[in-house]
Amino acid sequence: MVFERKDVTRSEIVRFDVEAYSFDAIQRAAYRFCDRISVEVTRDDASWLCAVFPAAATDFSDEDVAAFRIECLDQTLRERIRIETEAVRNLILAHAFAGLVEQPPS
Amino acid sequence: MRRRVDSPEPQTPSGGWSLLPLTFHRLSSGSVAVSNAAGELVVLSQPEFEALMSCEIHDQALLRTLKAKHLVRDPDDDLPIELLAMKVRTRYAALAELTKLHIFVVTLRCEHSCQYCQVSRRSSNRAGYDMSVETADAALAVAFASPSRSIKLEFQGGEPFLNFGLIRHLVEQAESLAEATDRDVSFVVTSNLALLDDDIIDFCRDHSVFVSTSLDGPIGIHNANRPRPGGDSWQRTMSGIRRLQDEIGPDSVSALMTTSEASLGRASEIVDTYVEAGLLDIFLRPISPYGLALRTGSHSSYDVTRWLKFYREGLERILAHNRAGIPVVERYAAIILRKLLTNEDSGYVDLRSPSGIGIGALIYNYDGDVYASDEGRMLAEMKDHTFRLGNLHADSYEDFVLSEQLLVPLDESFALSAPMCSTCAFERCCGADPVFHHATAQDFLGRKPTSAFCQRNMGVFELILDLYHSDDFARITFQRWSMS
Repeated sequence: MVFERKDVTRSEIVRFDVEAYSFDAIQRAAYRFCDRISVEVTRDDASWLCAVFPAAATDFSDEDVAAFRIECLDQTLRERIRIETEAVRNLILAHAFAGLVEQPPS
Repeated sequence: MRRRVDSPEPQTPSGGWSLLPLTFHRLSSGSVAVSNAAGELVVLSQPEFEALMSCEIHDQALLRTLKAKHLVRDPDDDLPIELLAMKVRTRYAALAELTKLHIFVVTLRCEHSCQYCQVSRRSSNRAGYDMSVETADAALAVAFASPSRSIKLEFQGGEPFLNFGLIRHLVEQAESLAEATDRDVSFVVTSNLALLDDDIIDFCRDHSVFVSTSLDGPIGIHNANRPRPGGDSWQRTMSGIRRLQDEIGPDSVSALMTTSEASLGRASEIVDTYVEAGLLDIFLRPISPYGLALRTGSHSSYDVTRWLKFYREGLERILAHNRAGIPVVERYAAIILRKLLTNEDSGYVDLRSPSGIGIGALIYNYDGDVYASDEGRMLAEMKDHTFRLGNLHADSYEDFVLSEQLLVPLDESFALSAPMCSTCAFERCCGADPVFHHATAQDFLGRKPTSAFCQRNMGVFELILDLYHSDDFARITFQRWSMS
């Protein structure tokens, strides 16, 4: 896959192993950083390929790319927490609002 | 038999604990703010956070903290689930009360020309911009149709005392209705105090009408922001504050400041002005992008970074006064601290999710139109009627709160359904502001990475947490503020 963006001064490809990262985690990280970078995501057999471009007129920095990588890690962690605690979270909400459910007339 | 959380646990070296639902945010200090399912927050060091994530918790003090904050539990223990459910239910319980705050725009006339005015005021001699008695009575009927047991009527303008006769009528009628319906009713007038006289003061005293005014800081800042004929806005404001404090009581009047370009870099002077005037409750506000502020471009004259620097300076100056024995409160911090440190919420309309528009406050304009928020009314002055819910002479309270114009922005801006917000550790402290995001991004939800609302609030949350954990005096002061 070739990314061609001739209208910007800098672009970079960041790779993530598909076994270690989900698309959802990368997408959430990309959204969080959309004030600094814009990201186009595709994949090959083994990797997510993130083409990083500037989000505004100024170029992004190496620190922005590094922070994006770390954010992908954090989003993966958040995803793990979400999955691991989904059942008990639903239970908490069900307990919290059970009193609002009207009982059908007997 | 259910195990109590505080019963002695087996001292196992590792594992055996289950994670409870949580979110986290990495602070710039390197620590991690972790929030449980009810939005209660704890700040952990990186090693402590890693221990939590792995559930390999060897430090017994850390384990007690994590269990007390309902971040981990013994898989056989259901009590944390029930406690969290109760806290979540408590958090949203006030929604059933619906609209408590009812704002009456009794006139659009005003003799000031404040550069940041969000009202787009009319000059004081222009007829046709006063609320009529018929419209006022219709608005009062709608206000008392709200199921809220406690109702607050706020009179705004323009300068509301230019229509003092109508305020008098509304207060007397509201008192009768409150007695007849067994409700609590309270009154606030937001005024520039330039027209304060004996009649007004006597009335405020007799009917416990609280007065809120604007004080932007020392005379140079205030008069530059708020020109009026004679150029004496500051003098009149200070004189009015003193009169109200002397003749009714020190707690009869409060003030709000609005940050302008002239304010930046002068936070300490602004705080000192308030303290010298005996005003010990200071709300360091940003400028809003509505009304004249939008037309004059003054809303874009400074960015969030500069405002956060201003806020930090102001907050530190306020803490310095507290160290000197003067119990000044920064109101925005107090609102946030109440959410952070207690299970309560002050109900501040502009910082809650679901948003407080309509369901927290309704605005009755002088012409009978009803708006979901004060800012929504200001957008209407700019020909944007997105948040107009209807008219008093055609629609009922139910029509207003069940309208698509209200339900759609409430739904679309709900933080727990929003990208970034739904997984933010500060979601409980924060809120949804569909009016702000509509005004600035043409979208009720906005895009949080570029949202000034998000950046501003995140900056304040981090600052408060940083001070809370690094400064013993600040921590004690903040604990007191959380209950104020």
